[in-house]
Amino acid sequence: MQDRPQPSPLRIGIMSFAHLHAESYAHQLKALPDIDFIGIADDDLERGQRFAQRYDVPFFESYDALLAQQPDGVIVCSENARHRPLVEQAAAAGVHVMCEKPLATTLEDGRAMLRACEDAGVILMTAFPMRFSAPLLEIKTLLDQEGLGRVLAVNSVNQGQMPKRYRDWFVDRELAGGGSVFDHTVHLADVLRWYLQDEVVEVYAQTNRIMHRDEVEVETGGLILLTFANGTFASIDCSWSRPMNYPTWGGLALQLIGQKGVVHVDAFSQNIEAYSNTDLPAWIPWLSDPDRAMVQEFASAIREHRQPRVTGYDGFKAMEVALAAYRSAALGQPVSLPLS
Amino acid sequence: MKVGIVGVGAMGGTHAEAWTHTPAQIVGFVAEKFEHAQAMAEKYGAQAYPDLAAMLPHIDVVDICTPTHLHHEMTLQAAAAGVDVICEKPLARTVEQGRAMIDACRAAGVKLLVAHVVRFFPEYVRAKQAVDAGQVGQVAVIRLQRDVFRPRKAEDNWFLDFERSGGMILDLMIHDFDYARWVAGDVTRVFCKHIGDPRISPGDHALAILTHANGAISHIEGSWAYPPPTFRTQFEIAGSGGLLVHNSDASAPIAAYWHKGDDDTAGEVPVPASPLLESPYVTQIKAFYHHLTTGAPLPVTAEDALAALEIALAAMASAESGVAVEIGR
Repeated sequence: MQDRPQPSPLRIGIMSFAHLHAESYAHQLKALPDIDFIGIADDDLERGQRFAQRYDVPFFESYDALLAQQPDGVIVCSENARHRPLVEQAAAAGVHVMCEKPLATTLEDGRAMLRACEDAGVILMTAFPMRFSAPLLEIKTLLDQEGLGRVLAVNSVNQGQMPKRYRDWFVDRELAGGGSVFDHTVHLADVLRWYLQDEVVEVYAQTNRIMHRDEVEVETGGLILLTFANGTFASIDCSWSRPMNYPTWGGLALQLIGQKGVVHVDAFSQNIEAYSNTDLPAWIPWLSDPDRAMVQEFASAIREHRQPRVTGYDGFKAMEVALAAYRSAALGQPVSLPLS
Repeated sequence: MKVGIVGVGAMGGTHAEAWTHTPAQIVGFVAEKFEHAQAMAEKYGAQAYPDLAAMLPHIDVVDICTPTHLHHEMTLQAAAAGVDVICEKPLARTVEQGRAMIDACRAAGVKLLVAHVVRFFPEYVRAKQAVDAGQVGQVAVIRLQRDVFRPRKAEDNWFLDFERSGGMILDLMIHDFDYARWVAGDVTRVFCKHIGDPRISPGDHALAILTHANGAISHIEGSWAYPPPTFRTQFEIAGSGGLLVHNSDASAPIAAYWHKGDDDTAGEVPVPASPLLESPYVTQIKAFYHHLTTGAPLPVTAEDALAALEIALAAMASAESGVAVEIGR
């Protein structure tokens, strides 16, 4: 009996390790059997070299040098405000892109990125791992089978710890695009668009900076209420309200009110509780890693010459919700989408 | 102390039982249907009266457990008779009514105590104490959630009559509007989305965002859209120094799994019931009794009840108009 012919491995690199998620993606690239992790480029040379060493892959001193290797795809993990130049550079080289969320920090940058990839005929995927969460996928199937009837309202939370200890730029308004609203709204805005197969038409938000007031200049508390075209309304709590001794970084969960019933889904409840004589209580996760499936999807889309299950346009629409939230918070009234 | 109870539905019955834990004497009942008052009078060794006017000369305190739209008129009647008033929440159907009730009781020199019972539930009291003790630092983001089934009274389901009850936002969410204000102070802005069309929804459901004068923000969910016998509550209070989390599903001390039978053991009207040695309804009535007899302090004033009413009506106005409503106090 003959083995099936193995496709040649896809050659994928990472542009910038500014975002800590790059570490997870690097781990996936190393672990997935049909991918050749060809190396890392980073404008922070020390950082890039350190991670190249850790993952035992080549380091490239410029993004051009990495792209000159003609990879099949790159994963862009620069600071939010610096996604655009790297995505444009990759597109110009004819290289497919998966870009860390939020896609960009301005509508203008987001539009330019969509255009550059479309013109070059390359994939632009947004790194929204929740589209690959096993518990969330189970609810997506239920909704697609009309198992809940029409969804009337959703109460969702994506709270976390204040992330400054991971990266300083996470709390820099210029580089990150804002605080907790920009950091956390996009995941749920995307999940809700995906679940409801509908677009947001109105955003109301209130924010404050009471938690960590002395450490950061961006908002740390945020409550957002979205209305979709068919009338469904959904709230998002994007606050950095998990204290530093919380057992984990935060979480993401939704409660959906439907005509046939109510379902609660938590993307991160699959944990073992761990207690000890010396350490604070901790949670040991046993969930199926959504990042693994997300990187696999990027590779499959490249291989199969198709759009990925979550696109740059999805990233753009989620970012638009976050930008609208800032406008609403400043006005004290809801604002309409799409933003002009 | 002689107590008369008006209204013998879910709350009238609960209050009557609670009064038996105090030295006060229940002397009379008034109900919309006289035979209902008679049944209660028989159970508690009291007298059934045809209406409030007939009972007032015989009592020191009236405990008003009637549908919301009747609170105003009955309170004015009691005040005119010099009788102290205990009134179920919400205080009234409109802010004007609520203000008139407070004014009338003050002018008549009688007490007006409002049964915001959540202020007597131990999980809510403990959280408030923890906040006051500085355990979360300055309060930043509050989340309060109360999910139940739609009241299903066999006859005359006034809860579903918007004119009489004000609907779910006024009847149910007022608990959490009051609690948010208790924890984070006065509210200046309210935005609310609501679905209540019975052709579309199995029950009313609403989400509201409150902005407090001190900068804190609150997310309030109220629901009649869960199936019976659901009565679940959740809260979170996050501040500059910490976080408090409560979830009634997680804290339920008993889990039972039956091989057969109908697990819908709930009554007509959802009432919360985590096992406690003293029901919060009893704690509340005892507090009212001690306040009336000794002047012992109460955690909630009629002005607090009026402020909660104002937030609820602002939420209803916001849901109706689609814009955020400012509350000027």
